[in-house]
Amino acid sequence: MSRTVLLTGLGTVGAFGCGGESLERALAEGTPSLSEVDRSAGYHLPEGARLACLVTVSLSEWLSPAEGRRMSPPSKLAVAASRMALRGAGLDSGSEGSEATAVFLSTAFGPSSNSEGMLKQIFLEGPEAVSPFLFTESVANAPAAQIAIANRARGPSVTVCQREAGPLLAVSQAAAAVASGRAERAFAGAVDEVSPLLHALLDRFGALARSGPDGDEIARPFDRRRCGFLAGEGATVLLLESAESVAARGAQAIARVLSWGSAFDPTAPVSDWGKGHDVLARGLRKCLGRAGIEPQAVDRIVSGASGSRAGDRLEALTLREALCGGNSPGGPGLPPVLTPKAVTGEYGGGLLGAAVLAAAGARFGATPGFAEPDPELDVVPHDGSALPPPSTVLVSSLAAGGAGAWLLLGAP
Amino acid sequence: MTHAGKNGPRVAVTGLGAVSGLGWGAEALWAGLRAGRTAIRLFERFDHSGHRTHLAAEAPEPPAGAVRDLPGGSRLSLADRFALFAALEAVAQAGLGASLANEEAGVYFGSSTGGMFESERFFSTFLGERRRYARLSSLAAQQVNSPGDAIARHLRITGPVQTVSSACASGALALGAALDAVRSGEVEMAVAGGSDSLCQLTYAGFNALRSVDERPCRPFRASREGMSFGEGAAVLVLERLDRALARGVEPLAVLDGAGASCDAYHMTAPEPTGTGAAAAMDQALRDAGLPPEAIDFVNAHATGTPLNDAAEWRALTQVFGERAAALPVTATKALIGHLLGSSGAIEAVATVLSLRHGELHPVPRAEEAQTGVDPELPVALVLDRPLSLEARTAVSTSLAFGGSNAALVFSRWATGQAA
Repeated sequence: MSRTVLLTGLGTVGAFGCGGESLERALAEGTPSLSEVDRSAGYHLPEGARLACLVTVSLSEWLSPAEGRRMSPPSKLAVAASRMALRGAGLDSGSEGSEATAVFLSTAFGPSSNSEGMLKQIFLEGPEAVSPFLFTESVANAPAAQIAIANRARGPSVTVCQREAGPLLAVSQAAAAVASGRAERAFAGAVDEVSPLLHALLDRFGALARSGPDGDEIARPFDRRRCGFLAGEGATVLLLESAESVAARGAQAIARVLSWGSAFDPTAPVSDWGKGHDVLARGLRKCLGRAGIEPQAVDRIVSGASGSRAGDRLEALTLREALCGGNSPGGPGLPPVLTPKAVTGEYGGGLLGAAVLAAAGARFGATPGFAEPDPELDVVPHDGSALPPPSTVLVSSLAAGGAGAWLLLGAP
Repeated sequence: MTHAGKNGPRVAVTGLGAVSGLGWGAEALWAGLRAGRTAIRLFERFDHSGHRTHLAAEAPEPPAGAVRDLPGGSRLSLADRFALFAALEAVAQAGLGASLANEEAGVYFGSSTGGMFESERFFSTFLGERRRYARLSSLAAQQVNSPGDAIARHLRITGPVQTVSSACASGALALGAALDAVRSGEVEMAVAGGSDSLCQLTYAGFNALRSVDERPCRPFRASREGMSFGEGAAVLVLERLDRALARGVEPLAVLDGAGASCDAYHMTAPEPTGTGAAAAMDQALRDAGLPPEAIDFVNAHATGTPLNDAAEWRALTQVFGERAAALPVTATKALIGHLLGSSGAIEAVATVLSLRHGELHPVPRAEEAQTGVDPELPVALVLDRPLSLEARTAVSTSLAFGGSNAALVFSRWATGQAA
């Protein structure tokens, strides 16, 4: 069985605020919302990164205090986003619970502040000081479980951990479950928090943008001067449904999931980027081929480029190899390339939310921080000018460590 | 077998690999299980003097040259090493070479904590007064997805690679994803399983919940007081049955169905009527195109906690009705402990080996005074000695923290059987 999979709901929360409209506004303005990271614990180097895309908005509209006190920060974000998705799809939270409703959620680092809290208790106070609450909400699948509990979703509950490729893999698995009939409806998305410790560790690995001679901390996807990404937290949860389910309740779909695929670059070192763009490009072409889509039919790219030096290079070479038939100068160019992680930050599912908005024809502003093309990459991201609505949107996200995942979205 | 092909081509298991407290290798696992020898004892992986309990099934030292001698081996976490050893064993049994670069292969893996054991070494220094001496590089390989990635990197796999981290159902869910990927043609071959090592975080966490037994766990017994920890990895090579036969490889079993569900009830307590677990088993049976009567034994999740075992029994009665009390049940965790993200995978290996050997491994007698099971959960638990059973089909269950349930249906493959 292979059924048409439609996307009917978008819930998203991040530094930009709550909901698709807030994200759309932020993407149109092309400005990240940055906050100072708490450095009081002393984890950071003095010269290290200071800023991140942190959630500052209240979730009280989506979560009662009694619910929230039993949840880790990622669980709160994920449940709030799932309820937004449900409301956007015209469904009531809790009323649509079913064995046919699945949850596929990705997280790169899990509820890391609870794990940190537990480790402090173990090493500073002793193992018997460990709080059962912290443990319960330290497991990677806590946010997915809380979405299931909050929405009575009794279908498969799966948490995917595959770094930056995880969000697209989660949506892919959800789409596959709906297409095959394993689920009628699925919550699918991503969640992550940026704790001071995680921020400090990412910075010490040299992953984050720092201020320097070229300016303040800012992600510059595909720019010659790029030096790292902005860490971002938040959650994005999409509601996927079979076309039959959507038709039966007379609902409106936002987009159609046309295809999905993934690949692995075994040249990638642990937690770093490889040089296997040819292998990744083959995986991307396979993803296109599965839906019978020619490379030239892709008329919009929502790229996972984040400002990482090696990551953006691999992304550019992969896209050009798969869609332009190679990386020779003067060849055909890519369709308009959107780089939402420059606004939403890396992690927290901002890429997914932006992808859905792009498929729905939302306007994107200029890529923040981009001014100097990198001749090796030969990718100039979108300049903010008006674009016609796309017919086929390619969403791409490559992960440190070797994984890569793609999703193709089209009009419903 | 007439049920074949309901949801696509049948999928064979052509390779097995395992690391557990019973040793390195699937043979060591089966020898220990068959003998009913528990590996749960005092352990040395970390200083547990400050913890409430003191037992675990710790993997012994690896055989000389195993894994550590691989490129980058000294930087691999324990979970990575377990995973790599099991993967190389499974791939060799499947008759495959050292590189799968030319195969349409993918990795579908489960892990609950990845390299947390090594991360703890870092944090114990980093959170203390000697912060400046904490070696950040030791954290590079400690992601949950690290064991699955390590397999893909080593075998030069270029297809899909994904890690499921849904607590104790991770390994079984990963096998379910692999089954779907092979059936749909997304991959020709899947290297699937799970890996986890002992670590203080989960040891202290489950102890904080008072879910750990101070003695070796006693699934389905009236005296049960909780789980025991284990560590290790398990890997199964999956490929289309017709493909395996065409390349002259003897299938070890057939993975005929997978099902998954969520209790959507509570973060730590199972839904008491077992409805969620039953839904996963029902789905796996439907996926396999088999009625409950076709199942000859169950490799139960059977953690040994009072609530989990009770809910699982009620789930068995929902699925199998009056047959539930007569259906042979075995509980692998009584011998190798709970491998968390790897438990579903290693219990899948135990299930395949049971089908292959025509025997169910026993559960050791808990104590002289207790000869049977909890009278309120009258499962037909295999006790003391192996049960000879030429079973056709079996189900293995995984019921996790957060209410995530998974079930797998395996069928025996007899040499010379027609596909």
